[in-house]
Amino acid sequence: MSGDLFLDSFRKLLDGLGSDPWPELSASGFLDVLRPEAEGGAGLDLSGLFPLAFEAGRRAAPPAIVQTLLARLADPEALDCADAAPVLAAGGVSAETARALCAAADAAVMAGLIDALQSMTLDHASTRRQFGREISKFQAIQHQIAVMAEEVMAARMAAETALIGAPLDVSGPAAAVAKLRCGEAALVCSGVAHAVHGAIGVSAEHALHRYTGALHRLRLSHGGESRWARRLGEWALSRRDDAATLARSL
Amino acid sequence: MLAPLVPAAIGPEDEALRAEVRAFLAERLAGVPGALRARTWMGFDADFSRDLAARGWVGLTLPVEFGGGGRSPFARFVLIEELLAAGAPVAAHWIAERQSAPLLLRYGTEAQRRDIVPRICRGEAFFCIGMSEPNSGSDLASVRTRAERTATGWRLNGSKIWTTYGHKAHYMVALVRTSGGPDDRQAGLSQLLIDLKTPGVTARPIRDLAGDEHFSEVFFEDVDLPEDALIGQEGQGWSQVNAELAFERSGPERLYSSTVLIDEWMDFIRSRGGPTGSETELAGRMLAQLATLRNMSLAVTGQLARGESPVVEASMVKDLGASFEQSIPALITDHLASVEGPVPAPLLATLDYLAGMSPTFSLRGGTREILRGIIARGLGLR
Repeated sequence: MSGDLFLDSFRKLLDGLGSDPWPELSASGFLDVLRPEAEGGAGLDLSGLFPLAFEAGRRAAPPAIVQTLLARLADPEALDCADAAPVLAAGGVSAETARALCAAADAAVMAGLIDALQSMTLDHASTRRQFGREISKFQAIQHQIAVMAEEVMAARMAAETALIGAPLDVSGPAAAVAKLRCGEAALVCSGVAHAVHGAIGVSAEHALHRYTGALHRLRLSHGGESRWARRLGEWALSRRDDAATLARSL
Repeated sequence: MLAPLVPAAIGPEDEALRAEVRAFLAERLAGVPGALRARTWMGFDADFSRDLAARGWVGLTLPVEFGGGGRSPFARFVLIEELLAAGAPVAAHWIAERQSAPLLLRYGTEAQRRDIVPRICRGEAFFCIGMSEPNSGSDLASVRTRAERTATGWRLNGSKIWTTYGHKAHYMVALVRTSGGPDDRQAGLSQLLIDLKTPGVTARPIRDLAGDEHFSEVFFEDVDLPEDALIGQEGQGWSQVNAELAFERSGPERLYSSTVLIDEWMDFIRSRGGPTGSETELAGRMLAQLATLRNMSLAVTGQLARGESPVVEASMVKDLGASFEQSIPALITDHLASVEGPVPAPLLATLDYLAGMSPTFSLRGGTREILRGIIARGLGLR
């Protein structure tokens, strides 16, 4: 199946999920995409996981979906897994690798959530009228959304470049960049999205809080910005290389 | 919504250039203090530029038939990344190489292409860009410097200010009014090629807060220019300038202005042994930004390599990059103010220079506010 068709069927699956998504997810085969082809999986590497995790984020799909994909690398029966790290560790993966893999996948989901925040915010700013015109016509709003757009690009770039190669060969320093950068972008973009939506965005019935809430919970999982900054800094300071050389390997 | 940036990688052939450049720089810059290297593309050294040119490293992407290297934009990315990260004094040829030569190849006459571009590639023709005027800063369309048609070409009157190395360059590419009036805004503006030796041109340097003389004021008094001083089409200067800015804004010069300071700081921390948690955290935070920005800049280089004109994306990289570069002296000041024991004087000198100059990072090449306006337009908000 070509990449576009594959992604399209994943989107359709997510859009059609009911209140108990797991039987349908199991039947779809998508939970096994990281497992080897010989064992009934699709043998995807991390660059194949990135668009799936990003799409899951864009739709604010249950975060356990991506964690279950990862958990099945160690436990083929895993289902509705809230956190793949202990499952991977129980399967013999080092705790540090398990955490880096989970953090990098979290980052990809976060990049998708942030991307969706931008769509919602652009849409709202272009339709909501105040003072006789769309609020998108005000420079103060435009500049906030411009900053948001930069963060959207940065978050996606950090996540996408960390998700490269075989899942268990994930680079710790690259995962650190991804989780740290997406955490920072999550804060900025959640702030701008809520600021632009005003009180409407705080109502229970508006979808915005599903996205900003999911971002908050992902910031809380698998290590925060300072934790990953320290890991990255330990790695950097234990080498003799200059900053540009270090950045090149990330 | 904008299309996402596509991550790009540098191929082995282009990456192979790196070791050669590093070896050259290690030798040429040995012993140059960090505070001087932190000037990097503000540092003017004509001999250094000519030495680079002798190695084929000026005009790397320009066509071989015009004296260039005929290499890919990624080869140039490798070269300039090394020059900037090391803090090489590249100002003399920088603007000519980056934007004036591509501009002349696109719009110049055959004579200009044959005469000037090879001299740029040899490090013999240096350019400056005449944009701002005493009453035209960010509002560039309000420029009043004016060229009137004469029997033999153009007569130019007016002045430019904050022009980088206008007092040392051989040529200026200036945005001037050639028809209409200030109310016509972008219409009626043109780009002119000015040989700065022409009678009636005077330039004086302006001293900056660090004591350097990198920018200048340039005056034009009845300056007679030939017919072919007009670059491209009369009245199309605005759109030509904007296409040029994509080249100017996306490059690594928007990421690496403070890396000399990061390197000196990291060396200091390493020399003390056993970094504290706050030190590893600070190193990690700076590196995460730098790595992400570099990957974004590389992706924009990929767009340029495909022949696209990523004006909006380049503005995003520049705005984020400038904020990152500006954060470095502030963060390192906080750390150094809190450590026990002496801090090396050279490190403090680099810090002082960048703390003073870092506000310019979000002014030069388009202010933060102008860039955010361009991004908002790209998002369809205006």
